[in-house]
This record gives sequence, C-alpha cells and structure tokens, in this order.
Amino acid sequence: MEYIITYHCENSYKNPVSGAHWQFLVIPLEDDTQKIESINFENSLLEKGEYSINGFGFKTLRFKTSKTFSKVTFTVQLKLWKENINPFNFTPETDPTGSFDILDRLDFKTNHQTFLKSSKLTTLVNQEKFSYTFSKDLSIFQNLQNLNNFLFEHLTFETNQTAVNTTLEEVITKQKGVCQDFAHLFCAMGRENGVPTRYVSGYLHQGNGYFRDSQMHAWVESFIPTIGWIGFDPCNGILAATDYIKVAHGRDYNDCPPIKGVLFTSGENVTSYKVQVESAQQ
Amino acid sequence: MLARVANNLFWMGRYIERSEHIARYLNVNYFSSLDAPHQLSQSRQFVLRSMLFMVGSPEKDDTKELVESEVLYKIGMDPNDPFSILSNVRYARENANSARDLISTELYEAINKFYHYVNNYDADLFIRNSLHDFTVNVTEMTAVLRGKMRGTLLHDEIYAIIMLGINIERATQIIRMINAKHQDALMAQGSYGDKFSNSYEWTTLLKCAESYDMMRRFYKKSPNSISTLEFLILNPNCPRSVMNSLNQVCKHVKVLDPSKKYDKTSTSFLVGRVRAEYQYKYIKEIEEDIQGFIEDILANLVAISEEMEKEFFNY
Amino acid sequence: MGKIQNQIFSSYQRDPVLYDEIFNNKGEIKDIYSRLFELYGGHTIKEYVHLNDKAKSSFFNQGITFQVYGEKESTEKIFPFDLFPRIIDPKEWEIIERGAIQRSKALNLFLWDIYHDQKIIKQGVVPLDLISSSANYLDQMIGLDPPGKIYNHISGTDIIKHNDGNYYVLEDNIRCPSGVSYVICNRTALKRALFGVFNHYKTHTVTNYAENLLDLLETVKPNGIDIPNVVVLTPGMYNSAFYEHSYLAKTMGVELVEGRDLFVENDFVYMKTTRGPERVDVIYRRVDDAFIDPLEFRADSALGVPGLFAAYKKGNVTLANAPGTGVADDKAIYTYMPDIIKYYLDEEPILNNVHTYHCSKPDELKYVLEHINELVIKPVDEAGGYGISIGNRLTKEQIEKVKAEVKAEPRKYVAQPIMSLSVHPTYIDDTESFEQRHVDLRTFTILGKDKEFVLKGGLTRVALKRGNLIVNSSQGGGSKDTWVLKE
Repeated sequence: MEYIITYHCENSYKNPVSGAHWQFLVIPLEDDTQKIESINFENSLLEKGEYSINGFGFKTLRFKTSKTFSKVTFTVQLKLWKENINPFNFTPETDPTGSFDILDRLDFKTNHQTFLKSSKLTTLVNQEKFSYTFSKDLSIFQNLQNLNNFLFEHLTFETNQTAVNTTLEEVITKQKGVCQDFAHLFCAMGRENGVPTRYVSGYLHQGNGYFRDSQMHAWVESFIPTIGWIGFDPCNGILAATDYIKVAHGRDYNDCPPIKGVLFTSGENVTSYKVQVESAQQ
Repeated sequence: MLARVANNLFWMGRYIERSEHIARYLNVNYFSSLDAPHQLSQSRQFVLRSMLFMVGSPEKDDTKELVESEVLYKIGMDPNDPFSILSNVRYARENANSARDLISTELYEAINKFYHYVNNYDADLFIRNSLHDFTVNVTEMTAVLRGKMRGTLLHDEIYAIIMLGINIERATQIIRMINAKHQDALMAQGSYGDKFSNSYEWTTLLKCAESYDMMRRFYKKSPNSISTLEFLILNPNCPRSVMNSLNQVCKHVKVLDPSKKYDKTSTSFLVGRVRAEYQYKYIKEIEEDIQGFIEDILANLVAISEEMEKEFFNY
Repeated sequence: MGKIQNQIFSSYQRDPVLYDEIFNNKGEIKDIYSRLFELYGGHTIKEYVHLNDKAKSSFFNQGITFQVYGEKESTEKIFPFDLFPRIIDPKEWEIIERGAIQRSKALNLFLWDIYHDQKIIKQGVVPLDLISSSANYLDQMIGLDPPGKIYNHISGTDIIKHNDGNYYVLEDNIRCPSGVSYVICNRTALKRALFGVFNHYKTHTVTNYAENLLDLLETVKPNGIDIPNVVVLTPGMYNSAFYEHSYLAKTMGVELVEGRDLFVENDFVYMKTTRGPERVDVIYRRVDDAFIDPLEFRADSALGVPGLFAAYKKGNVTLANAPGTGVADDKAIYTYMPDIIKYYLDEEPILNNVHTYHCSKPDELKYVLEHINELVIKPVDEAGGYGISIGNRLTKEQIEKVKAEVKAEPRKYVAQPIMSLSVHPTYIDDTESFEQRHVDLRTFTILGKDKEFVLKGGLTRVALKRGNLIVNSSQGGGSKDTWVLKE
C-alpha cells in the first residue's frame, strides 16, 4: 500500500518572536513494514531543516531561526510504502499461565521497566471507580483485546474535553476524551497488570475523501511474552493494521509530541494542525 | 573568544572609561565654578545643569530650582539611576564577572576593589563634603585599572576589545564634554573679557579632559575656543583627543580583523573611513558648525559601535 | 576537661564525648598537630583577629563570594574561612584516597550496568524499584555508550570521622559536585596569612586539580577528535557556584560558556565566537540534567542548548558528568554501596558506609518510626542539607509531623543512626576564641579513560553554629584548609 501524507502546522503568536527552535516528530518510522519513498518539507521562514533524533532514537526534523516573525507555517509531505498487515498474523500463546509467569519474572520486569512504570500522564488514581483486572484464565492477548474493547465501550470520544496534559484522574472523571486519553488509559491499565505497554504516535488512514481537519493519531503497543509487540487502538476498539502508520513511541505523549518549540517571546500563541493521509492507489 | 563575552568586555571598557569621565567632570566643574570669573559660571544652577547635561540626563524644565545634594546624589551614587557613577561601576564589574576567566586575576581584583570602594562609599558623606575625595579616588582607580590592563593582560584579542571599548567611549565622552562646555560657553558669554572664544569654560573643558597642562605646553598661550577644540579633537598626540581615540580604535580593530582585503562592509573599513575624514580636517571647518560636527561624530561613533556588534558580538 | 597550655587555646572547652581532631581523649595534643599548635601559640589572640580580618577582606577583594538572595536585595557573602588548618596523616589519607577511587569506579560500573544489561538488578542485588521509581534515571540513556565508558567523571565524596575514630562516607555527589575552588582558595588564603607555618610541614599541593581535570576530560573525547575543544558550561553569573565555574575555566585555560553561547547544527555542537562558530567536543557542564536541552528535557529551560542531547546521543560531544548519572547519588542507592562495590569489583569496601534503614521496607519503616529519636531522617532526593530531621533535636510535635510525612511517602525517606561528626578547633568571630566545631571532608575524584585522580586535600567543611551537624554552605557552614601530609 502506498500513502501520501501531509502534515501541516501553523503557529501564530500574540507578540513577535525573535528567534526559535522547533523539533518535529512527524516522520514515519522506517522498518520492514514501512518505507519512505520521498519526502519534502518547507516552512514560511525559508529556513533549512535538518534531520536528527530524539532521546529515544526516533527521527526528528529540526528548524531554527533568528528572524523576527509572528506567524509561521510548516509543511511536511511524504510518500510511504506500507506492507499489508494482518494484525492477527502471529502464533498465539500456547500457555496463558506460562505467559503470566514470564510477566512476573525479575529479568522480564527489568528489561521492560521503561514501559512498566507509570509516567506523568499514565498515573492511575481512584482505581475503585475505574479499573480493569486481567483474568489469568485467558491469554494475555485476549485480556488486552478485552481491555481494548472495555475502553472503547466505556469512554466516549469527544474533542475539546481534554488537552495534551490532561491527567488520567480527569479523564476517568469525565469518561471522555480523544485518542491520546484512550491511549494513556490503556498504557496505565496494561502496565498495572504487568504488561509492558507503550504510547504510539502516528497517522491513521481513515479512507480517501476524508478531508476534515485531522490530527495525528495515538494508539498503543503491548508486549506479549513469546509474541512480541502488538498494536491496539482503544479509540476505535480494533488492532492496529495497515492503516496505522507509526511515527514513534514513548512512555506517554510527552515523549512523542509532534512539535516541540523553544521560542524567544512572551505571551500566548495559537497553533493549528492539519494532517492528511491518502492512499495513492485509489 | 566567545562573542557574548567579547561584548561584555567591550562594555566593561566603556563603563570604566565612562565612570572616570563623569567623575572628573563633576570634580572639575564643581570646584572651578567656585571662583569662576564670570557670574553665570559661578552660579550653582548653571553648574548643576551642565553636569546633568553631560551625563545625558538634562533637566528640561528651565524654571526648576535644582537641589545640589539631589543632583550630586543622582550623578554619583544613585543605584537606580543608570547614568550614575555607581551604576557604571556596577555594570563594569558585572561585565568583568562574566569574563573573569579571561582577564588577569590582577585586573579582576582591581575592578572588584573599585566596585566595593564605590558601592560602600557613604552616600551622605559624598553629598555633604566628600565630592573631591570620591571623584579623585574614582579617577585614580580607573588609572590603576588602565595600568593593570596594559601590564597584566596579554596584548591579544581580549586586550584589543577592551581598548576598543575604552577608546570609543573616550571619544564619545570627550565629545559630550565639548558639547556641554560649548553650550555653557554660549550661555556664559556677553560681558567684558570673556566672550565665547575666550570663555573661561574652555579652560574648564581642558581640565575636565585632563588636558590643560598638555595644551598649555603645546600652544604656550591661554586657551580659546579654536585652540581648545583643535587640541581636543584633532591633535593626534593628545592622549585624550578624538583623533587619538580613533587612531587607537583603528589599531585595535585590526587585531580582531587582520584581513587587509577591501571589504566595504567591515567594521575595520568604517573605522578607517571615519578616521580619514578627521585626519585631514581643518579646525576652521569644525568651528563653522560645531553643533553639526558634534552630531556627526557622535553618529559615526554609534555606527562603529553597531558595526562591531554585528560583526563580532553577534550571539 | 583536659589541660591545654597554650595562650590562644586558654579558653578552649573540650567536650570529652566528642572526637577532637587535634587533642586525644586525655586532652593532649596529637603528634601531627603539635608543631602547628606551638606555632599558633606564638600568636596573641589580637594578632589572630587581625589576620582573620585580613583573610576575609582578601576573599572579598578577590570576588570569591556567593550571592545570598534576601527579600529585597541580594547581598554578597564570603564563604567563611578558618585560619586553623586541618591536617590529615599520610596513612589515613591513603585509605581515604583508595576508598574514594573504589567508590567512584564502582558507581561508574553500576551506571554502565543499569543503562545496559542491568545485571545487578536481574540478579536481585539491588531492587528494580531503585531505578524504576527514580526521577533521576533517564530512560533516554539506555543503551548509550558514553565516550570512554565514563559516567561520573567528577565525584565529590562526603566523609566524616565518627567518635569511634573511623571514617564513614555520608554521601556520594556525582551530579555537579562543587567546592573544589574553595579548596584552592583556602590554601591561597592561608598561605597569604600564615605562610610561616608551611615551612614546618610537607604538604601536598592542591593547585594541580585543574590540569588533572583537563587531562582526564581529554581522555573521554568523542571518536575521531585529536585534540578536543573542552568548555565549561555554567548556568550563568548569578549561579551561586559561578566563581568556581570561572575558576575552573580559567585554570584549565578553556572557554566558560553559557547555553546561549552554544548551538547545535547537524548534531554537532558549536560555540559562537568573534571569529564565527567553533566546534566543541567536551562539555564539563555545571547545569543539571533537566536543564541541558529544552527540546529533550524541560522545555522551559533557558540554560540549555536545543539539540544538545541528540548531539550527545550521536557521540559527537562528551558531557561530563554524563546525563542520568544522578540516579546513582540518590540516597537510596547509597545504602547499597557496600553491595555495589562487592558486586562489581569483588572487593570489600575500603570506606565504611553508615547503616541505613529504608523506609520503603515495611519492617525497617517500623523500626524507624519506633526509634525516631535516635535517627536522622533524610529525604532521598534533596541536596544541600534540606529536609533533614535529626531525631534527638525534635520536639514532640515535630516528631509526630516527621512520622506522618514518612508514613505518607516511605519511598521518599531513609534513616540513619545519628553520627557524631568529629570536632576541630575553629576560630569563632563572636567570642574571639577557638571553639570545637563539627567538621566533615569532601574529597574530589576524577575518572578518565583508564586514569583517575584524587585531589590530595579536600574541602573540610565546618558547621559554624555551636552543636550544629549540618556543614553545607547554604546552611551557614564555613571551611578550612586541609593539609594532606607527604610521607
């Protein structure tokens, strides 16, 4: 499958900015299933961009300027090849108890501590109100699928209820949120049950002709002993398949925001994003 | 050298030089006015206004009765007034602090001592009866600093940058003094014997620039407007003259930019151009329009300073 | 009270319970101090006061001061300096030095391990919790190989002598330990004031610190660099340790930079000079992890360099100390030091550790709550002597308050027996006489690639308030010149 992805972002500032650095984490990860065929990026300040990496090794795109401005736009456009993926194409766990035993092992916990500990945005509180406990009778995969469905059913997708720094306490109280909140809750509950789970940031292809303003998507990946990392999208209640184009993962949103900026200015700013994912063949 | 630190050293030089000139201007004007031959020159109000004019904070209200102690405090010791000697010394030390790894321990300690001296000086005492003691000490300590710069720093980029600051500031301050005294001479003229060109203010001006003795030796007659201006502006051998300062600036900027190629955008080019203009000037041309000359040269000095900022201090 | 026959010590009160560094428990002067004792006895207390004032103004004029931020205006203070030096016997020093190196090396191996294979955790020697719940453990450092495999290039080890006469380590400081410049200033000041006394002792120099630091920093240069460009990164002149930063830059002969002097391009670091950009290879940074790169860590940091961490991760620049090193000076790690030393070096610890109770362990928490008046309670992650409660100094209400705090967040606290720091005669301004004051010792160890160095000297810190055990300068501590004698 071939996709054409456009990431566009526009920032306006109340007071003039006299210099800035930006770092974008919007370039899809390249692995056996995803390959970038071409890429093009530009910005309204005509600064040259450079590739780098973030702290977890994911590819970033950076710009800096010493110009004075009060509005700036960035556009990244790329063509990507993605392998057709059947998310169920793995050898299932033969022995659920054995899998749970592995989760309990010290070396397993140590290897995966990064995605087992709670982070700022994945800290669970008032669990008596909202929790999900795994059943030892089911496979871990089955448990995770159930968790996926549980969140899909119990949380309502609604924009403008939460922001990128909303804590889980608030999300649970409202039982509303956007894809980040679904993902954060999944991470927290997966980890709570001893399954290494990481937050994934990327693009979701929602069918051509979908031109409504869209943002980047967020889902999760959980590590199942003997199988490996499997992607779940609690926001849509499904497994991550061919339509899911991964950019990066981290402990939570804070490890993989699409844009980070360091600006020499004071006062507010308004940011708007537009993300478009089209499949090339149709 | 780091661009930011170079900028700080440049300003350290400027602030040290500035504090010295202000101190000397206070001292000379105050004390020479006490027995000045002209009535107006003796007037307290006249002197206080001249002082404020020189530091760049002129009193605009002609009718206002200035209070001596307030004016002295403002120019000498007011920590909240950016023009005061105290503030200048503070800035100088702050700039030295940020570059203390680059300057000699001896120079740093001398600046630090200077700062503590000024900072701990009893403001009351200063206003009441220690104007002389304070200003003389400030000028002497700056002389010590110049000695430490010359004697304990490697004469390289760092030294060049400090000297650039000092000389640009010196030229600027000399012009400011000329401006102030020119104003005074215009105002104080009229009665017998001390018309504009023979005004007592020229003598005061030369003393403010510590150039009276030199001038007398050179001209062997009483200073008048034209000989004073010629000496302070055009004489390259007078260490306080604008010409001498420009020569120094020219010499030191070459350390930062040793290239000899023709580059009309470089600071070095601009400095050379400005210097050449005054090098071959007749004093008569200046005297025809002193005010115009003062504005011109100040604008040139600002332009040089800005060019330097762009070329060397950009961070 | 023992007998003390010496003019300037005539009013010296010796508390026999305390371990006095210069008098034995019979009140006799120890051999190593006897010559000094005589020499100082030749002065009248008047002369002493004079010398003391001179020394103070010398610090002031040299600008060796730190800012104290008050309500209205900040004032400049000198770090109080005592004219009576502390002397360390060469045999004792040999132990301290070996012990400090042993600890630094063990910590370095520990850091490598917890950012790579994590064997020590998998084998159950230290609990996983120590890293997974530490705010100072940086997941970004996992799998990263710092140049020369060194994390804690510079360590400051805080050591005390207990009333049993043995040295104990209280703390390992491996983030940005400060104080080394005072070691050198104290020596200079003492030389200026009482140069004569140096003729009677063969004392090791302390002025070779900077050259050794530069030398060792050059051994951890990034790959492919011949002669590295080393810089010192400071938060700026308003930082309380700015004097030290400028001192180190000056004596190493390298640039002292602030974050705004540096920039990153294509993952290389450059500084902005009067002649354009110049590449930087090794950064001795005195800026905390959280502030080094606003694009990776705290976005509101104005002290850092955007993109610095990526440049580091790509191996194009060395940071000393390495990011994420702070995890190993958590007080919780300290308590495992004997195990860590044995695990990596297969050696017995040369320097003692103070026994520590972990409030995170239920049985130890119980002991702590029951014996709180015999213990010192310390927060795990505070530096500078803040948040410490000394059990036998607390009122009933205070005890209850501390107990409640510990119970609420046991992971945040450890407890140790109250150690009795040794005392040393110290000149006290207010009484114009010598009095006993508690002292500790901070040593400075530098690790390079296959090289190490311990400064033969160290910072003897003095708790100037009578009876006070906290020696930090921010809490009213002073310092003494410290002589390590040659054999």
